[in-house]
Amino acid sequence: MTCIPGKPVVDQAPPSAREMMIIAIGLTAVCLVAAMILGGLYFFTQPAKEHNLHMREEAMIRGLLGLTPQARIQEVRRYLKREGKDVQVIYLTGKKLAQLELDGKEVAALDVPNDVAIAGAAEIKDEWVKTQVKVSNPEHLKYAGRFFVGIEGTQPVGYVVEGVTLGFKTWIRFFMAIDSAFTIQGVEIIEHEEDPGLGAEIVQRYFKNQFAGRSFEDIEKISVTKDPLPKEWQLALEQLGDMPFRPWLEKHREMLPKNPNIYAITGSTISSTAVTVGIKTALGNFRKRMNIVGNYL
Amino acid sequence: MSEHRTPPPVSTMLMRGLFEENPIFRLALSLCPAVAVTTAVKNGLMLGVAVLVVQVLSSMSGSLVKHIINPKIRIPVFTLLIAIWVSAMDMILAAYFADVYQQVGLYVKLIVAFAIIISRMELFSMKHSVVPCFWDGLGMGLGFLVGLVLAGAFRELLGSGSIFGIAVLPFKPLLLVVLPAGGFFTIGLIMALFNWVDIKRGHKLPAGGGGAHG
Repeated sequence: MTCIPGKPVVDQAPPSAREMMIIAIGLTAVCLVAAMILGGLYFFTQPAKEHNLHMREEAMIRGLLGLTPQARIQEVRRYLKREGKDVQVIYLTGKKLAQLELDGKEVAALDVPNDVAIAGAAEIKDEWVKTQVKVSNPEHLKYAGRFFVGIEGTQPVGYVVEGVTLGFKTWIRFFMAIDSAFTIQGVEIIEHEEDPGLGAEIVQRYFKNQFAGRSFEDIEKISVTKDPLPKEWQLALEQLGDMPFRPWLEKHREMLPKNPNIYAITGSTISSTAVTVGIKTALGNFRKRMNIVGNYL
Repeated sequence: MSEHRTPPPVSTMLMRGLFEENPIFRLALSLCPAVAVTTAVKNGLMLGVAVLVVQVLSSMSGSLVKHIINPKIRIPVFTLLIAIWVSAMDMILAAYFADVYQQVGLYVKLIVAFAIIISRMELFSMKHSVVPCFWDGLGMGLGFLVGLVLAGAFRELLGSGSIFGIAVLPFKPLLLVVLPAGGFFTIGLIMALFNWVDIKRGHKLPAGGGGAHG
């Protein structure tokens, strides 16, 4: 169609049936080829993609808890069931599917088949839970978080809790490793969108390792300070990660009481506070929940 | 439209993408990702390579299908072609280059909407055969890659005092350039440099980029 200034626009003739057919066939052919290419690629790459994600999480959990290669990691998933005003908490552990009232009273507990317990993909677990828990509307059963248990032989040696907290712009997702006495062994930031050079510094050892070695009581009363980070403490913080948690704590134990608070990142008090509040909340919730779910592990 | 024009020499096609019609600094296309990812050289380099591959594959496949599709539906078909290669890149990166994907995963999906890719298909692939399209795509992709690396190096060095994540300066000279606003300043400065080089060469380029499209 040509459009010359000063002249009326010439109407384009409607496409003939033949032309329309050719257009339809051409588009269909291109779409078919596209579907074949993408379908084939998906088939070959999807297992590798899921495997990568799983391996990355597992490596991070093993590193945080300092597990031996023989140790096993068991995921515990938490769901919320809402039917009107009635809310139930559901835990899927390696052994049991426990349906509980909010105060911890057991409604039902089922044994978990082995193939579900060891499944790597979250979908398999979620699908199985959906078949077991009766709800009037699938929307009423929602996934609500997870944690991991590190098991050496048959004994749980530590936990890694996944937590989220609202950062400067959007959610910060983190892993927090805890021993059986609820002392923090380490923190790892999994996902965040803080500003580079400012809030993004939360992933650095000199910030995230400030939580390591703190007991439940320490964390309960911890706050964020804008004082400068002492050089000596910073050097100590940089070492955790190169050396495992236990020897690190032995070496630097006396420095913890001297630095009772979290030193904020310069120019990023919001991000620093967000992580601190997130850790506090996640640890408090985890302790409450462990009182109940501990019986089903 | 079916007969091919004589393609310009390979060197012209390559240099056009790198300098005369550099997607970022001459045509000012796809500035949004250029600002978003260039906080570090490594990110810029990785996204640059992804764009390069998608540009070459899209230009070539656009040239291949131009005879069998009706020109009236070329835009949806081009969009579809770009989407195929972007999805393919996305899946391959996620499966086999997990570390890289973690850094640029978010931006790889956005390549589908990069103006430079569909503009090369419309302006070049529609008129030329597959081999010149390969060179044109390579030139434009390289131009984009070089642009991202230049901006990334400038911003990482001044904003974080490092290059490729290795600290080279003991301090951060100018934190501003690594923030989003600094991205625009950086692109503007390099754009000015391109214009200055052009003036030194006798002002041969058409104003505001664009111009001859082969």
